Amino acid sequence: MRFTTPDGLRAWLDRLAQEIDLIAPTDVDGHALYRPVSSSDEVLLDYERPELSAKDYLLPATEVMLRVEQRGSSVTIEEVLPDRKQVLFGIRPCDAHGLAVIDALFLEQDPPDRYYRHHRERTVLVGMACTRMWEGCFCTSMGGGPMDPTHLDVLVRPGEEGFFLRPVTPKGVAILEGLEVTEPRGEPLPVEEYNEPVPVTEPAKWRPLFGDRIWMRHGERCLSCRICTYVCPTCRCFDVTDRVVEVQPGVTRIERIRAWDACTSTNYRRVAGGHNPRPTKPERLRNRFYCKFCYYPEDFGPLGCVGCGRCILSCPVDIDITEMMRDVAERSGG
Amino acid sequence: MTTSSVYAPEMARVAAVRPLTELEKLFTIELPDGRSLGHAPGQFVMLSIPGVGEAPISITSSPSRSNGAFELCVRRVGDVTGALHRTQPGGWVGIRGPFGHGFPLEQMRGKDLLFAPGGLGLAPLRSLINQVLDERGAFGRVIILYGAKRPAELLFRDELEEWAARDDVEFHVTVDRGDESWEGHVGVITTLFPLIAVDPRNTVAVTCGPPIMYRFVLMELLGKGIPETQIYLSLERRMKCGVGKCGHCQINDLYCCQDGPVFTYAQIKNVPEAL
Repeated sequence: MRFTTPDGLRAWLDRLAQEIDLIAPTDVDGHALYRPVSSSDEVLLDYERPELSAKDYLLPATEVMLRVEQRGSSVTIEEVLPDRKQVLFGIRPCDAHGLAVIDALFLEQDPPDRYYRHHRERTVLVGMACTRMWEGCFCTSMGGGPMDPTHLDVLVRPGEEGFFLRPVTPKGVAILEGLEVTEPRGEPLPVEEYNEPVPVTEPAKWRPLFGDRIWMRHGERCLSCRICTYVCPTCRCFDVTDRVVEVQPGVTRIERIRAWDACTSTNYRRVAGGHNPRPTKPERLRNRFYCKFCYYPEDFGPLGCVGCGRCILSCPVDIDITEMMRDVAERSGG
Repeated sequence: MTTSSVYAPEMARVAAVRPLTELEKLFTIELPDGRSLGHAPGQFVMLSIPGVGEAPISITSSPSRSNGAFELCVRRVGDVTGALHRTQPGGWVGIRGPFGHGFPLEQMRGKDLLFAPGGLGLAPLRSLINQVLDERGAFGRVIILYGAKRPAELLFRDELEEWAARDDVEFHVTVDRGDESWEGHVGVITTLFPLIAVDPRNTVAVTCGPPIMYRFVLMELLGKGIPETQIYLSLERRMKCGVGKCGHCQINDLYCCQDGPVFTYAQIKNVPEAL
């Protein structure tokens, strides 16, 4: 455990910002969001859970995969892989946990996703412990916690008079070189407030409830707006499209891009001939929850939810994942 | 252009284009340096038209007839297939793959084979049928029941005639609606099943067609007593990656692109969103 003053922490962040890309929670029109920053003045040190997860920096909402250049009949294809290092400072433990969930499919299942792996390797995760659970948070039910260091390279705990930094991985040890450490003063802040736990039903017990009326009840009011997927730290489905960037005599430049997609959207599964294997909203909403609590853990290991609670706060029609979890627990007998 | 990413296509030359019907064309595609695709019957490729996009297409040629090229039988139905249909011989397309699990040829050896393709479902099955016919001695009876909506929609008419002429193939074809030139059987594909008798335990059935057809063909196959583990189907799903990441082809806990596209009926009969 290393201790530094707020000034010491800001000096270290300023140095990092000069050397590598620094992503940190910052105030954007009154909203805390993870954003690239150029100086520590922009970095929030006392903030709630940022309103969007950090996955954008490892699985960008829109990412150029390939640049294709056609010159007459010759075609060249170039992969786009940024190689600058980046540090995600102030990432909440739930968001780091979300990346570990994505790792289970994108890194650990063959073949690994080359782009995601590349981003993962160039990124250092410096997490900030939460001093309370906010509205909607249920990380402690999903195997995480406000001070969970498990998926981080460094865990920072705010203290009464400064910050306590604990390197968790060799990457974490390396990033802390250059941090001005002083004699610890005061104690790290404890977690003030925990939320009620939510029951998690084991994957096999979800299966008999596939035809249950709860899906119709919750799914009928879904708007297919996909905000739940957008804010989710573990949703990782993507679409791939081509964009013509430039057309000149004899030369056409094209980008192949991938963008977040959502299984709750109407045409997500529609095939070109018109068949749509999941045509109704309740079916699609059900799939979202089954993916997280049944299919994903059975296929790849971890549960597909980390309990960040963002989908609860952002849903325009108040669909609440914890309400669903309680319904499933009740119907499956606990 | 050389790259190791599974997401980067390789540019391949369209060697020949042959119209088969009003909506379907057969494309012969050559990889660079005369390399073989190395596919198994039932697998698919991701086909790119740069600037338009990418789509999964089943491989219709048999590995036994590769000659440094492979064939795709493609219906003009969307953006990518529309652009492909406008591609001339000598043009270029992007290819990734082959992907997915094909038909288990080894487990079919020595068995009687019953093929029941409907419409464009013949495209993936033709790969397997021709592979089987090229090793004809390794299999028992070969029965092909093929149905299309109209005579004008029958694919590979030259090969259908060859199959019909062979005395080691029991071939029956039907159309839902005939026309003045059609003298053959009229009726949906299930009306062909009473024409054949099979030894169910020694028979492997392979079917591919539109979702509505599966329901009725499966009833016929099960009605003949063919075990669920010996009935193979190939499913169509939207796909964006081919390697189990993008999520579009997910069917409950199965990923069509990696676990399939070929499944046994036993594998999917209790998977609610499969059929």
